[in-house]
Amino acid sequence: MREFLKSTRFKVLAAFIAFLVGIMIYALTKGGYSLSGVSFINTITKPFRFVSNSVAMKVESIGDKLQNSDDYYEENQQLKKQIGELNKQLAGYDEMKTELEQLRKLVVIKDEHPDYVIPQPAEVLGYTANDPFHSFTIDRGYADDVKPYCPVATAEGLVGITIEVSEHSSLVRTILSPDLSVAVVCASTNADFGIIEGTVLSAANGNTKLSHLSLSNKVKKGDIMVTSGNSGLFPKGYAVGSVKEMGVEVNGLSACAEIEPCSDITRLSTVFVITDFNGKEERADADTNLP
Amino acid sequence: MRIRTSRERRILRFKTVTRWILYYVLILFSFALMTSGTFLKPVLLLPLALAISIGNDLMGSAFTGAFCGMLIDIACGRLFGYNAVLLTIFCVGISLAFDLYLRSRFINYLWVTAVVSYIQCWLDYTFYYGIWNYEDVELIYRNTTLKVWVYTVISSVFIYLLVKLINHFLMPRAHLTIEEAIKTTN
Repeated sequence: MREFLKSTRFKVLAAFIAFLVGIMIYALTKGGYSLSGVSFINTITKPFRFVSNSVAMKVESIGDKLQNSDDYYEENQQLKKQIGELNKQLAGYDEMKTELEQLRKLVVIKDEHPDYVIPQPAEVLGYTANDPFHSFTIDRGYADDVKPYCPVATAEGLVGITIEVSEHSSLVRTILSPDLSVAVVCASTNADFGIIEGTVLSAANGNTKLSHLSLSNKVKKGDIMVTSGNSGLFPKGYAVGSVKEMGVEVNGLSACAEIEPCSDITRLSTVFVITDFNGKEERADADTNLP
Repeated sequence: MRIRTSRERRILRFKTVTRWILYYVLILFSFALMTSGTFLKPVLLLPLALAISIGNDLMGSAFTGAFCGMLIDIACGRLFGYNAVLLTIFCVGISLAFDLYLRSRFINYLWVTAVVSYIQCWLDYTFYYGIWNYEDVELIYRNTTLKVWVYTVISSVFIYLLVKLINHFLMPRAHLTIEEAIKTTN
């Protein structure tokens, strides 16, 4: 032992250990930064470490999958079930949200027009196949007090009129149809009267046409046309559409205008049927023809 | 007259019932397609009713024509019964024509469907738009009626294949007695 302690080997070893301790102490004084040698080693070994680490992780992962496959499968099933339940809740929430929005609109209409009698909002069951005037069927019929010739509207504006009523569904003719005429007045001037009646050309663009307007009218682009209530078929003062383009009839005797309906009639999902209102003219055939 | 065994009769009944069930499933599916969406659609029920009429008996064809016609009336918002009457007449006529004069070939079915669907589309246009003299009414003929007719004829190819497939598996084949076979060869 004494010989070893006195040997050169021991001295070299001790010096090396002292050198290492010195490095250690020096490293401590660097305050978190690695020594230049360490940085060099790290840089050199980085790609190897990256590859080896990836391989090790893969192997570990495979081992983990093999070892815990049952647990993962069970967890997966539970999560799937949870997702299913959450999706169901979400669908219910969306449905409730839509319903709430519709009821809110209904409340707004009822607040603005207390004389209107409106049953629950009606869902659009489907559009009539290949109809250029976009008539559609709703899920309310005479069981819900809907009669023929009841105005159909959205919160934004008038849409059409019921023409064929079954027990739980009704066919609605829209304001794009040439078979429906609505007497209207300009909301801003309250003096320019006209008739809104669909045409083939305007219906192709989802619009309708205002005709029989006086040549000396003061209607301008963007004005809102509202129902005049003269016919007794539609309530007074309900928005129908806005003026898109003004013009003069071919005969030159009256002015006309392209009207953009307040709501997009080609893509409706929910509407309101106004079953009664002040000034409604009861049509005898609407009641007597009930099944 | 060939005497059928009770097993043959059972199979025949089963095949007939299954065939008609499949026809009506197809009819209801076509109706559902016709009533969905806002774009222009082929009158699927028309080529379907015609395809069913080919190779089936008169009463079945008439009833199917009437049923499909009623569904077209509902889907297209037409006077209830209008298309039913039309299709009953067409289906009976086509059932008779294919029974007596025409061979059950795709090409025959195609031209018959093209003619019948054109008549149906033209009558529809005339009665519902043409005679009312709407402004620019010819646009409806050009942009709606003709397109619907073309779509209907194109769709008839697929409908024919579907009905043919059903018939291939479920339509009972005519068995000839020895006497009938001898008569036929003579």
